[in-house]
Amino acid sequence: MTAALSDMSFDIQPGEVHAIVGENGAGKSTLIKIMTGVHQPDSGEVVVQGQTVTISSTEEAQRHGIAAIYQEPMVFPDLDVAENIYISHKGLGALMNWRKLYADAAGQIAKLGVTLDVRRAASGLTLAEQQTVEIARALSLNVRVLIMDEPTASLSAHEVDKLMAVVAALKAQGVGIIYISHRLEEIFRVADRVTVMRDGKHISTRPIAEVTQGKMVADMVGRAIDKFAMKTAANDHGGEILSVSGLARDGVFRNVNFNLHKGEVLCFAGLIGSRRTDVGLALFGVEPATAGEIKIDGAPRRIHTPQQAMEQGIAYVSEDRRKLGLAMTMPIFANASLPSLRKFLKAFGLIDGDAERRMAEGYRDQLSIKSPDVLIDVGKLSGGNQQKVMLAKWLETRPRILVFDEPTRGIDVGAKTEVHNIIRKLAADGVAVIVISSDLPEVLALADRVLVMREGQQMGIFDIAQASQEKIMALATGQTEAAS
Amino acid sequence: MMALLGRIHPQNLRVIALAIVLALVIIFFSTQIDSYLSPRMVNRIATSAAVILPIAIGQALVVMTRNVDLSVGSLVGIVAYLVGDTLGHTDLGPFLTLLFALALGAGCGAINGLLVAYGRVPSIITTLGTLALFRTFLVQYSDARTITTESLPKWIVEIPQASLFSIGDFEVRVMVVVALVAAVAFGIALAKLRMARALYAVGSNPDAAVVAGINSKRVVFTAFTLSGMLAGLAGLIFLAKFGNITVVAGLGFELKSIAAVVVGGVNIFGGSGTIIGVVLGTVLVDTIDNSLTRWAIISEFWRDALLGMLIMAAVAADTFMTRAFNRLRRGGEA
Repeated sequence: MTAALSDMSFDIQPGEVHAIVGENGAGKSTLIKIMTGVHQPDSGEVVVQGQTVTISSTEEAQRHGIAAIYQEPMVFPDLDVAENIYISHKGLGALMNWRKLYADAAGQIAKLGVTLDVRRAASGLTLAEQQTVEIARALSLNVRVLIMDEPTASLSAHEVDKLMAVVAALKAQGVGIIYISHRLEEIFRVADRVTVMRDGKHISTRPIAEVTQGKMVADMVGRAIDKFAMKTAANDHGGEILSVSGLARDGVFRNVNFNLHKGEVLCFAGLIGSRRTDVGLALFGVEPATAGEIKIDGAPRRIHTPQQAMEQGIAYVSEDRRKLGLAMTMPIFANASLPSLRKFLKAFGLIDGDAERRMAEGYRDQLSIKSPDVLIDVGKLSGGNQQKVMLAKWLETRPRILVFDEPTRGIDVGAKTEVHNIIRKLAADGVAVIVISSDLPEVLALADRVLVMREGQQMGIFDIAQASQEKIMALATGQTEAAS
Repeated sequence: MMALLGRIHPQNLRVIALAIVLALVIIFFSTQIDSYLSPRMVNRIATSAAVILPIAIGQALVVMTRNVDLSVGSLVGIVAYLVGDTLGHTDLGPFLTLLFALALGAGCGAINGLLVAYGRVPSIITTLGTLALFRTFLVQYSDARTITTESLPKWIVEIPQASLFSIGDFEVRVMVVVALVAAVAFGIALAKLRMARALYAVGSNPDAAVVAGINSKRVVFTAFTLSGMLAGLAGLIFLAKFGNITVVAGLGFELKSIAAVVVGGVNIFGGSGTIIGVVLGTVLVDTIDNSLTRWAIISEFWRDALLGMLIMAAVAADTFMTRAFNRLRRGGEA
């Protein structure tokens, strides 16, 4: 392994949005960690307003006016918005002046051009609102450089628009923003300059006007890639394998109806919070449905535990790698074999370690998981590689019905294309696939049919030939009552 | 050196670091205590560790599932007393006695398991409760009577002196062999059984384990039952070792077992750990403990404080060395 980051030079001006792009493992996270004092550089220096500084902790970074927000906002769920904003302030006195605190907090929120009740508990906020709270916290600390690491990865299109407005408000106040995202179209919307990194090295820094998407991607991967491999023509799917009618879970979603054929890709589109994931969890028995019927191969099946779902040949690749996906303190091979460990038993119920390792190595090569061996703990891999381990784990169960929940969330372009190709290949091999995705280009690229949900309700299901981004968004946001 | 380190799994690096710390501790005390490296001292530490080792293994299983078993000390007391009491009027013979001790321990452990896994009571509360309950039951039941060596069958009284074989002057005691056999059995089981993999998975990420089709309640229940069973084994070894059993038998063993487990590198937040680490942890804690009693310059009042400090120092040294090894290892791959 080489250094995580070497010979990286980089600057940020007041009121500028400087985007950093690169594949997973390119060294973006290391750069952020150095700037926020989590890691110390082996060589080189950080200069803030002409002065060389050493940053040995997050607190010190904040003192120099540098703060970061991440894909998953870090808020204290039991505190309210105002308390969250002022949590790292010192010298507020021994006695709290609550009236002033709430007024100040409301002021900070207003500066961002959003409306949010500062007395609400953070636990009830949406991800986007929690992010706003984090930004307000940073702003209240007189932050001059704000690092935003994948801020939109968990946001719906509408929320992304709002965040863009917040970014504009920050720019107007002279805050320099380092913006990291895998969504290239966002970069073009928001950035003034773009720096591309690859393998821990600086590749290029250019004003946005001089960059094209193709150029940027070529810099990132070191080669040109096809934007989206074309869908395989075969629309002649096999027989019906899954049929769902009147599926519901009390207070969560209701009356979901669809069927699914062998070799077909059905995408669930909708905004964050439209309860698509809950339908996936119900199909897999994690949070079972309370009403409705699931038929597999024409026979009604009771699916109340993941075990029962697996027996029916269903697999579920969760959107939440940390929570439902991987055991971070366990090695790659043990994660990959976990649901299908029965296949790797020899005499006396002992695990056949060699067979297990060979299987994992097979997937490492097939899915190009970047790791020297399969004995490494999954927690030490980058996000994209973790995603692939999760994929390996469920592919190994040889599912007939595979549910992907946000399969490419937070992973880079190169890996994204790979995952799309894998999904398409699975479908071509006759697996019935459900893809839950908030990424509309992805939906349009992958789906044979699209099911749109909004607030726990099925808004429509139609062939991809009749779908467009506009139509899906209209249904997802409830703008029209257009029947399908 | 670097190339060699590169081939070793991080988990094993930890074990090596721990072994080095143990060696350093032994070298240090051998300069302080006369005839420290004698067969007598080795036997003293080995038989003392033989009582703690089964409990520490059980504790490790429980800790790996993100729980803790505070009732093991009381369980050792109950098993040692009840088995001794029974043998006082009915000689069951070695095999049935072992079975009785294991079953009694497992039964009590299953109570913990039921409450934690199916009753959803946090393990620290459950086992804090059963720690007191089991001990109180013992006090009530015993009615202040003491089990004495005279009341026990001859075969059990002779166990402490019984050696399986000897290497030079070093006698390898049966008790030590029993504890080591348990360690080897559980070591293999943890590395090779599907159930064990489920144990790691539940500790590492309970939600993901459920999604992978693992019955996490059964896993936690099993861990507590096995912990109880191993405490039962320790109780029997305790009975054989001391012969005279009062109601305070096994008092404080829960803390000693937790110390051994943590020193042995089991992640206190669950999900990782090895039996070889637990064995080394147990030996290290017991070596420090037994050496301090023989260290003339230390007053008895300072012993516990020093034991605590040395355990912390050992863990710090171990962590430091593991990190250094890992750094070298990464360097070696460049």
